[in-house]
Amino acid sequence: MDKKAVILLVDDDPDILDSYRIILESHGFEVRTAKTGKEAALLLKAHRPDVMILDIMMTTDTEGFDLAYRLKEDPDYRNLPIILLTAFLEKVRREGPGEFEYILGEQWPADWLFEKPVDGPRLIARIESIIEGR
Amino acid sequence: MVRASHLKSASSAAREQIVGCTAPLRARWWIVPLLGLFSYPGLRETGNGFPSFWLALPAGCIFLYNGLFLLWFRRSGERLIEDADCRKRFIFFQAVFDTAALSALCLLTGGTASPFIIVFAVPIVWFTTALNARMAFTLLALIVGALIGIAFIEKTGWVLPQGLNGGRSAFQIFTAIALPVAAFVAIVFFGTFIKGIAHREIDACDRRLESEERVNQRLQSLLSSLQAIGSARKLEEVLHTVTSEFARVMQVKGVSVKLLSDDGAGLHYAAAFGLPDNFTDEKIVEVVKSPLNKRILDGEPFVTGQVTEGELFQFGEALSSAYIRSVLFLPLHLKSRVIGILGAYAEEANRFNQEDVDFFGLASRMVAIALENARAYGAIKKLNDERIRFMLRVTHNLRAPLAAMLSILEVTRGGYLGPLNSSQAEYLRRLDRRARTMLAMVNELMTLSKRRSHEGIDLDGATDPVALARRVRRTFQDEAAGKNILFNLSLAENLAPIRGSLEVIEQLLENLISNALKYTPAGGKVTVNLKPGAGMAVIEVSDTGIGIPPAEKSKLFTEFFRASNAKSVEEIGTGLGLAIVKEIVDGLGGRILVESEEKMGSVFVIYLPLARAGPEPDAAAG
Repeated sequence: MDKKAVILLVDDDPDILDSYRIILESHGFEVRTAKTGKEAALLLKAHRPDVMILDIMMTTDTEGFDLAYRLKEDPDYRNLPIILLTAFLEKVRREGPGEFEYILGEQWPADWLFEKPVDGPRLIARIESIIEGR
Repeated sequence: MVRASHLKSASSAAREQIVGCTAPLRARWWIVPLLGLFSYPGLRETGNGFPSFWLALPAGCIFLYNGLFLLWFRRSGERLIEDADCRKRFIFFQAVFDTAALSALCLLTGGTASPFIIVFAVPIVWFTTALNARMAFTLLALIVGALIGIAFIEKTGWVLPQGLNGGRSAFQIFTAIALPVAAFVAIVFFGTFIKGIAHREIDACDRRLESEERVNQRLQSLLSSLQAIGSARKLEEVLHTVTSEFARVMQVKGVSVKLLSDDGAGLHYAAAFGLPDNFTDEKIVEVVKSPLNKRILDGEPFVTGQVTEGELFQFGEALSSAYIRSVLFLPLHLKSRVIGILGAYAEEANRFNQEDVDFFGLASRMVAIALENARAYGAIKKLNDERIRFMLRVTHNLRAPLAAMLSILEVTRGGYLGPLNSSQAEYLRRLDRRARTMLAMVNELMTLSKRRSHEGIDLDGATDPVALARRVRRTFQDEAAGKNILFNLSLAENLAPIRGSLEVIEQLLENLISNALKYTPAGGKVTVNLKPGAGMAVIEVSDTGIGIPPAEKSKLFTEFFRASNAKSVEEIGTGLGLAIVKEIVDGLGGRILVESEEKMGSVFVIYLPLARAGPEPDAAAG
């Protein structure tokens, strides 16, 4: 692969942003970060990423969801792969393999949900499988 | 045609009366043989007895009219079943004919000296008991008249048999009938008098019975209202049930509940059943401006059978359009406070008597208790909801920094920031363990607090053991294989659904199995059995792990408790898993037993009730 895959990482917690940026960059991904949904929207317009990792609860309890739903309704971004992140796993159905990774159903605005703290290797494996799959 | 089936449908009193008017029809057939019997010895002895022809004449007439009556009865006797007056008239006419026949018989058998005079007593007693006073006295007059007539005819000389009396004097004739007449008059007077007394007694008894039945009915209704009210939890439900049930029980048009505000200054309509729609329009009645309401709140019931415009105004102007004439208001007492006013409204004037006031008073006490209960329940629920929301926020706010910590640790320990020496690596490993333990604790505390508030236990759900087994197997198969532990799950055939939702029972099993896997060394075995037993579902989780020291078994289900041998096997442990298990088992109404031997293994046996067909009572009570 000549072109590096671009990951857009969105989370209001700077420690999370820094930690995962370091891990992802060391695996050869180009990482852009945003702290809010608004920032993320701007970055999306500037350069379309290959994968977006999106925290759910930021400045509001559902900011990540809201953004993800809006993107799904926008024909330009409908196919953008989104991985949701949450520190707060309440009522998510267990359908996927593994302990902290969940494959979501159709009514969700994303296909994957990771529970924080995220296991680095697992996250990378998921990202790679997404990119290869396209 | 009158049939036996007709008689069955009549009331027992009617039936008795019918028998009373038809029995004589049958009895009269016996007259002829009796007369014959009577005359025969006379004939034999004196050779002079009553001339048989003259006996035969009245006998024949009796036969005739009896036959006619019988015919009429066969044709139109149905009328007798419903119509009491018809029955009386039937008896009356029979008695008239009997009187005539008997009078003729007396004339033909010696006039005032006739032995048959005494026979008049028979119809007299019959119609005295069967007919009302007016008819009885009419017939009495008829009979007395007949007797007097007989006396006169005798005086003129024409009685049979001639020669038997040999011309008695007027005085003799008079005395001959005076006694019977006096006796007959006495019978009728006395009879109707006693009847009158008996009827009045019966009527009084009936009225008492009626009033007791009413009280009984009201108590029954009160009981069913109590049950309806007792099963409603929310304040609005209780209010609605109270007002509608009491309107039904009291059989009034409307019932209202006014509640006093906390400062005691205002009354607002909390509920109104059967009254105009705009009645409970957010109106607050200021107690100070309404002396009537104030008096009621002070403890004085207000009852009126003719409510005036002025009074209606104090209770709500809209009432006048509802044609309310009678109202009854009672204070709602709770311990020493008055919390409101219960009101009943009726369209009839003078509807409420003392009995109603007393009954309503009973009811109002009940209502006050029900209302307080609903309020308390609502307050508790609100507190509970607030607590849960608080716990959720706390958990989230604890998780976020923990997640950040662990992410930072992952970066650092992963060497992404540069290589670590062995001491750095070891200390960071310890840091990581403690942080993960804290995270697990936060999760489990959240679960425990939800269970404790009874919010989580859903007793209406039912768990299919097959689905449960499938999910559990899928969850743990890989983990067990990864640790080289033999994992077996067996499910008995045709196991009935277990009471409780799938999520809850799954969590129960997962906590137990994950414990078993955690504390069983590689090469060991963890077995799960789902089977029926003692009318319940039995879940058995056994392992060949480190076991539980006997001294610590009693503390096993305490929060944060970790057995002494557990820590050496696995550093991370919250000590909450079994506490959660116990909460779930208790919440579902089951039992849990533990058998264990150190270094050999443990068996946890859980008994859970099976799901029932009907709806469950409210879980919050449990």
